[in-house]
Amino acid sequence: MTLSVSNLCVERAGCTLLHPTSLTIQPRERIGLVGESGSGKSTLGHALVDALRGQNVRVAHVPQSPDEALDPLRSMSYHWREAERALQCTPDRQRQQQLFRALQIHQGNLRKRPWGWSRGMQQRFVIAMALIGSPQLLVLDEPTSALDPVVAARTMNLLDSVLEQNQTSMFLITHDMGLAAKRVTRLLVMDAGRIAEDAPCSSLLQAPVTPAAKALTRHRTWPAPC
Amino acid sequence: MASAVLRIEDVSVKRGRLFTLEHISLSLTAGRTLAVVGESGAGKSTLIAAVLGLVRPASGTISWNNAPVHHCRPALVMQEPRAGFNPALSIRQTVMEPVVASGKPISADILEQLCGQLELPVDLLNRRPGEISIGQAQRASIIRALIAAPPLILFDEPLSALDAVTQKQTAQLIAELQKAYGFAALIVTHDLGYAAAYGDEIAVLRAGRIEEVTSPREFVSAPGTNYGCQLRDAAIELGALEQTV
Amino acid sequence: MINIVLGLLLRTAVVLTGTAVATFTLLWLAPGDPALAVAMARYDSIVSTEIIDLVRAEAGFDAGFWPAFRAWVFPLLSGDFGRSAVTGRPVLPDLLSAIAYTVPLALAGLAIGLLISLPLAIIATRNPGGLLDRFAVAIASLGTAIPAYWLGLLLILLFAVKLAWLPAMGTRTPLHILLPALTLGLGVAASLTRIIRSGILEARTQSFLPAFKRRGVIDSTIGKDHIAPHAAIPVITVLGLELAFLLEGAVMVEVIFSRPGLGSFLVNAVEARDFPQVQAVVIVAALLFVTINLLIDLIYRVIDPRIGESNA
Repeated sequence: MTLSVSNLCVERAGCTLLHPTSLTIQPRERIGLVGESGSGKSTLGHALVDALRGQNVRVAHVPQSPDEALDPLRSMSYHWREAERALQCTPDRQRQQQLFRALQIHQGNLRKRPWGWSRGMQQRFVIAMALIGSPQLLVLDEPTSALDPVVAARTMNLLDSVLEQNQTSMFLITHDMGLAAKRVTRLLVMDAGRIAEDAPCSSLLQAPVTPAAKALTRHRTWPAPC
Repeated sequence: MASAVLRIEDVSVKRGRLFTLEHISLSLTAGRTLAVVGESGAGKSTLIAAVLGLVRPASGTISWNNAPVHHCRPALVMQEPRAGFNPALSIRQTVMEPVVASGKPISADILEQLCGQLELPVDLLNRRPGEISIGQAQRASIIRALIAAPPLILFDEPLSALDAVTQKQTAQLIAELQKAYGFAALIVTHDLGYAAAYGDEIAVLRAGRIEEVTSPREFVSAPGTNYGCQLRDAAIELGALEQTV
Repeated sequence: MINIVLGLLLRTAVVLTGTAVATFTLLWLAPGDPALAVAMARYDSIVSTEIIDLVRAEAGFDAGFWPAFRAWVFPLLSGDFGRSAVTGRPVLPDLLSAIAYTVPLALAGLAIGLLISLPLAIIATRNPGGLLDRFAVAIASLGTAIPAYWLGLLLILLFAVKLAWLPAMGTRTPLHILLPALTLGLGVAASLTRIIRSGILEARTQSFLPAFKRRGVIDSTIGKDHIAPHAAIPVITVLGLELAFLLEGAVMVEVIFSRPGLGSFLVNAVEARDFPQVQAVVIVAALLFVTINLLIDLIYRVIDPRIGESNA
């Protein structure tokens, strides 16, 4: 089912963080939202999720860092149960084990509190929680920035296969064009609270139009060693 | 004329009963860059602390130019720029701290010159850390590191807090400054793309030990160890390194 | 876990030892002749020097500091608090009956304090900065400034004299505890309201709360399971401190309402230079304080095991 939001707008203290923005997301689409820090990417991510929830669409949001998703005073199993209850899902052990295996956290001790798990496992747990209700869209905000490269790469690969299995669309928010280019088929470039450019991945990388897109594309990887 | 060299010889650091660093031996010549890569917990920050003299090695020595390393007053650029700035002081006051500490006066226009080289507007110096962007704060940290002209500068994940575009620009600035001032740079980072692009040598640190030391070219095409391969492949997966055939 | 408990017990032992030495030393060094004070308290009249000397020898005041200290501490370690220098009766039973009056009053005061402050703080934080919030903070600040004796007398004037709803003095009926408990409770409520309020406001700024909301968790669950536990941590500290203070005898309140208890027990003992009784009270008070702190420390670790870890 195609998802669509229109006129998302966020103002705070007289400042416009997000200018009126409309967006359409196809089923099973992988979209990357790329932009400099301060361009309004996270704001758009939050607005998108809130708007879709208002339309009663099943959507989930994975914040940048597990610190922003988990309560340090509560155990992991508590978080899972609470998430199930919030989505009005019947507790499904099989689904839980399936998701845990897919994200390789089935060895984790659920009675522990978040800080008893490594950051990588915490992040994958948050992703697993997000997938409980089989959402149509998963919005990830800088999923790799809080992780080491080896863990980050593994997490992204596992995420790919899980999304594939569950037929979920992905909305990946990142400041790193290189990361987005590897994972998505459609790129949105964000600049000063607006979506400056919206194009299929390959065409944008080959021929960026706006200055923001050009800067991001030019700096997407490191120069090769000489 | 022999260049000064940083020698880390068979250094081990203990924390309680555990070794956070074991038998580390590295060398770095003036004007060159050594990139130390590894995951969190590998001991990268401990290594920096040891070179700075903040932790005492249980064994081994660290010397610069055959003298104990702290004699050369190495400078540090940290991961979180604002963590190194006293929020109550202006940028200028914090940046001038190494000069005040060393007691050696510097000429007035060195600060202006550095601001120009780092593309930092001079009037920013009068602001507080909370009033400038993270990119600007990191460039101010670099100015502070350079102001007393130390022969050795340590960088602890200098780009991690910056966004992708700013990272590339800042990395380029650091390289240009190194050419101009000739300092030795020890850069600790988990970003292999950065290490390969700007390092003269890459040292892979894992669980407190050096796994391998190679040139960036070799590392990108054929790392010597399995772990090195893991790191390299991960960097390619994340789009940090171009895939080489 | 064992290490933590042992560490806390060791701290307890150190505090108690320090208290014992300090109390004894201070009493010993206090101006005036202790033998004279004891004699006057005992015989309730001016006495001759022979009798004073007799009292001095009997009470052990002539033996010197360290012998006297030893003579007191060693029996203490086996639970023997000695005998009152004035009445000659064993100290412990009188002390325990004094405590039996103070404990219910302290608990009642704490309960009333919580009953007032908890709803007040919750209502105040519904609209931070609003009229009700500012009113609550103002009342709380006023409460900390008002001395207990003034408040107590005022309450007696209103409820016992003018309205004749509640009894004023003594401990004859259970109703007698209400006015003194209310006096204490209002004072406690003042500091508790501010702590609970700031605890709630700070707990609301936790960075993960928006994520829970986005996950669909309803507001009441968020408040109950994620804001309240975090807010409880500073509140528990203050609760413990208040309880300790109340237990050690809100002296003025007990005196105003003519209630026997730990507070008046102590005042009488100090006036009479009754060393064994004074020291008994101080040691028991220190023990209570340390026990409450121990309990609070353990409760913290249950709520948030990271507290107290060196690498939290």
